[in-house]
Amino acid sequence: MPHRCVKCGLVYEDSSSTLLKGCSCGSRFFFFFKKQETEEEIKNLTKEEVIEIEEDFKEILGPQMDDKPVILDFESIRVKEPGKFEIDLVNLFKNEPLVYKLEDGKYIIDLASTFQRSNKESKAKKKGKR
Amino acid sequence: MVLKIIKDFVKHVIGRIFSKRSNVKLGFYGPPNGGKTTLANKICKDWLGEEMGQASKIPHETREISIKEKVNITYKDKTLTFKIADTPGIATKIDYEDFLHFGMNKTEAKKRAREATKGVIESIKWLDDMELVVIVLDSTQNPYNQVNITLIGNLVARKIPVLIVANKMDLRKSDIKSIEAAFPEYPVIGISAKNGNNIEEFYEQLFEMVK
Repeated sequence: MPHRCVKCGLVYEDSSSTLLKGCSCGSRFFFFFKKQETEEEIKNLTKEEVIEIEEDFKEILGPQMDDKPVILDFESIRVKEPGKFEIDLVNLFKNEPLVYKLEDGKYIIDLASTFQRSNKESKAKKKGKR
Repeated sequence: MVLKIIKDFVKHVIGRIFSKRSNVKLGFYGPPNGGKTTLANKICKDWLGEEMGQASKIPHETREISIKEKVNITYKDKTLTFKIADTPGIATKIDYEDFLHFGMNKTEAKKRAREATKGVIESIKWLDDMELVVIVLDSTQNPYNQVNITLIGNLVARKIPVLIVANKMDLRKSDIKSIEAAFPEYPVIGISAKNGNNIEEFYEQLFEMVK
């Protein structure tokens, strides 16, 4: 599975000896990320399907989605085609912003809104109630 | 011995958490089709005389959080008040084609998939509001899966007490021991929410955790 250097961002494929030696920039820290095995399927989406998927996410996220910025390097929810969702629970539980992948290179990100109540806020709330 | 010490410690901590609480926020969590709504319905029927939501054999029947305020439960002359939340099932994959087998048309199935995905997000969002979580598992299914492990791990990280219910004990394939073996640090109660089997033991454990 691919790894990305934390420091310079260079991507190394699976079994790369660089993982043992370290990156050319000198760093030995890498992000591990999932290979996009579904990219081929995603690329083959028709225009209508992409619109359908966008509509799905507009409903899931609510009206606030339109003014959100784009791009991040993880995905919490992936959609292969309309009606087929893969959910990365580990990311969801981390209270990180959600990233939805629509097709290759196209993402929708729900920044803080999905998890407005961070752990900190929640703890403060609980404390206040007691 | 070590397990007993851990269990006693957990009991002690839980006892302290709830020592001054009278309206305990109780959440029913778990994968789809474990019987969360059936159990929530059983409790509400027992103590409020009305059901909470509609249960179904089709996965992801509950797609929105449903709340019942002030549910007074009495066990052995002691009454506690709960705020009960029945949550949508947590899943890692939702595919509309799975719903087509239940006679749904494509449009309905896609709508259900979209709502179920939203439901997973909602369930997780509400987790921090819970003071006690009952994880409802289907005891005929293998408990070692990503949903159960991630969910329980996150509850522990959030210091939210967990009671595991091994539901559907009335079914032949039910294997409560495999759930106990998978999560030995937590209390596991085998029940049948549908038939009401062992429901007294469930209440007993619930009160044990809240007292």
